[in-house]
Amino acid sequence: MTNAIETTNLTRRYGKTTALANLNLSVAQGSIYGFIGPNGAGKTTTLRLLAGLLEPSSGEIRLLNQKLSGSGTEAQRLVGYMPDFFGVYDDLRVWEYLDFFARCYGLDHARRRTTVEQLLDLVDLTPRRNDFVQNLSRGMQQRLCLAHALVHDPPILLLDEPASGLDPRARVELRELLRTLREMGKTIVLSSHILSELAEICTEIGIIDCGQMIVSGSVDAVRQQLQGGSHLRIRILGAVEPAVEALQNTPAASRLPAIAEVRVDSSDERVLHVELANATEETQAALLTHLVTSGILVSEYHAQTENLENLFLRLTEVMS
Amino acid sequence: MKNVQFISLQPNPIIIKELRIRMRGIRPYAILTIFLIALVAAGYGMYHLMLRQALFGGSMLSFQVGQGLFSGLALCEICLIVFLAPAMTSGAISSEREQLTYEMLLATPLRPASILWGKLVAALSYIFLLIFAAVPVFSVVLMFGGIAPWDLLKVFLLLLITAITCGTIGLFCSSLLRRTSQATVISYSAILVLIGSTMMAGSLWSYFSGPIWQPVPPELLYLNPFSALISIVTVTPATSTDFFFGGDVFGLPLLSQFAAGVVHYGPNGPVVLPIYRATIVFYLILTVALYWISTHLVLPRRRWIPRWSDVTFAVLLAVLIGGTWLTHDWWRVLPPPSI
Repeated sequence: MTNAIETTNLTRRYGKTTALANLNLSVAQGSIYGFIGPNGAGKTTTLRLLAGLLEPSSGEIRLLNQKLSGSGTEAQRLVGYMPDFFGVYDDLRVWEYLDFFARCYGLDHARRRTTVEQLLDLVDLTPRRNDFVQNLSRGMQQRLCLAHALVHDPPILLLDEPASGLDPRARVELRELLRTLREMGKTIVLSSHILSELAEICTEIGIIDCGQMIVSGSVDAVRQQLQGGSHLRIRILGAVEPAVEALQNTPAASRLPAIAEVRVDSSDERVLHVELANATEETQAALLTHLVTSGILVSEYHAQTENLENLFLRLTEVMS
Repeated sequence: MKNVQFISLQPNPIIIKELRIRMRGIRPYAILTIFLIALVAAGYGMYHLMLRQALFGGSMLSFQVGQGLFSGLALCEICLIVFLAPAMTSGAISSEREQLTYEMLLATPLRPASILWGKLVAALSYIFLLIFAAVPVFSVVLMFGGIAPWDLLKVFLLLLITAITCGTIGLFCSSLLRRTSQATVISYSAILVLIGSTMMAGSLWSYFSGPIWQPVPPELLYLNPFSALISIVTVTPATSTDFFFGGDVFGLPLLSQFAAGVVHYGPNGPVVLPIYRATIVFYLILTVALYWISTHLVLPRRRWIPRWSDVTFAVLLAVLIGGTWLTHDWWRVLPPPSI
């Protein structure tokens, strides 16, 4: 499958400051790609470069296999861009706002009318079509801004912090909307600080810091790559001491995983946390068999995956 | 949704958006109404002023009333234009930057030059509306006589070009500066310098010229729209021996302040120099030059790299400058020898 976005050694400098250094990014068509990074990491610069609003200092950008020229005009047709701090024309009505952007893309009268109605329907603003934009809530304005990026039916959507400033309900609505757009075949690249949300919605993520891509790939692959070992949570019926002993004295030359650490949960003394150095599904199953055959009554046994926040914090700590 | 055609012959979207915002509600119509009432009231006041002058012994014929009213109303209009045009355009680009919509516009196929053009046309269209709405008020002066329809046309041409130039100065400042407040202050300052410095030079010239009391050279007044207006509305200048409240110009005393250098007194009586010709020519050049620079200032990237549109501007400017050179006998008027 053709990549929707491909960058090769993409670099952007502002004077002596390098905002983005040799970024090699590949985003598959139809995926939702999440950019994670602290403030000033280079997320917005990357999105603005992809939208053709900035010129690369060096490197190359390809959108749907089409090389972006110096003027960046190809991006205007292929990309729908929603900036992090978006503005709205307060004195326009909701439908007029979309109608204006549809005119900017040269849609004729009939197409404009249909598109505006379809987009209002998509972002659930049909009942508010005649309201002034200034009277909409923040979440509604965010959806309207997203709709403006869709007026020309672009195959790629670039959304810079689309969920910032939204309440939980609005975030859920936005997430649903993004899923719908993905089902429509759009490739979506979004940046966010709300990492848990990215994990829920994104098919791929990239962690960027100080203008450099640290890791990129599917959410599971990134997690696996960063997490190294795995973490087990085991709940024991009865005393935990025999279980701790059984875990610490695993027979040598068995298929059992190497155990790095065993500790009792601080809030529940019947729960053990076990850190495994090199665990696979097979070795985890073997460990459970070992506990059961050692006469330990296990009521809960499951692998805990580290959340993205922890991974991100750990990673950026290491980088700094 | 199908793919979109990017070739469009539709009207500029910026003009439509700006007009939708600007003409919404009662405000634009209220401003228009108030402006017309104020203009009528000013005309009525001037008429009564002239009647009172007649009571104090001044000669007052019907054609003089017509010329006085014509001068006063034209002055009101040009004041309005000089103060309103920069206000309408100085926020054109900077306000888009301030309300964070500029980047969204640049992400569309709309070219920055189209954004600029749309903003200028939308801003000036309201001023043009005010100018044209005043035509019936102006036509009253024809009842008194003393004014040829050609003079009216010349005044309206000067008003339109002054509006475009002042609007372009505001647009240039708005493209150059990020904040509307800064752009407004700088554009008003530029216009103040344009008017104030030439007016000041005209007023002080006689005192510091050698020998003293020499007439003001007309070149000093070319860029002053008020002097240009005087050169059109002064159809019959008062002779130096006349006692008249308006001084060199019929109508308001204030107008005579701008007449220094425009009305020259030669051995054959007073002569009005057609300064307005040079003003129109130089304003056109200034407008094209400022607009050209602005089209580069609004670009987000590769700002100063030459483009094809530069060829058009260069040709236009060359034609204007060449035309100015070739027609210098028409617009460059020499003052008559002093008495």
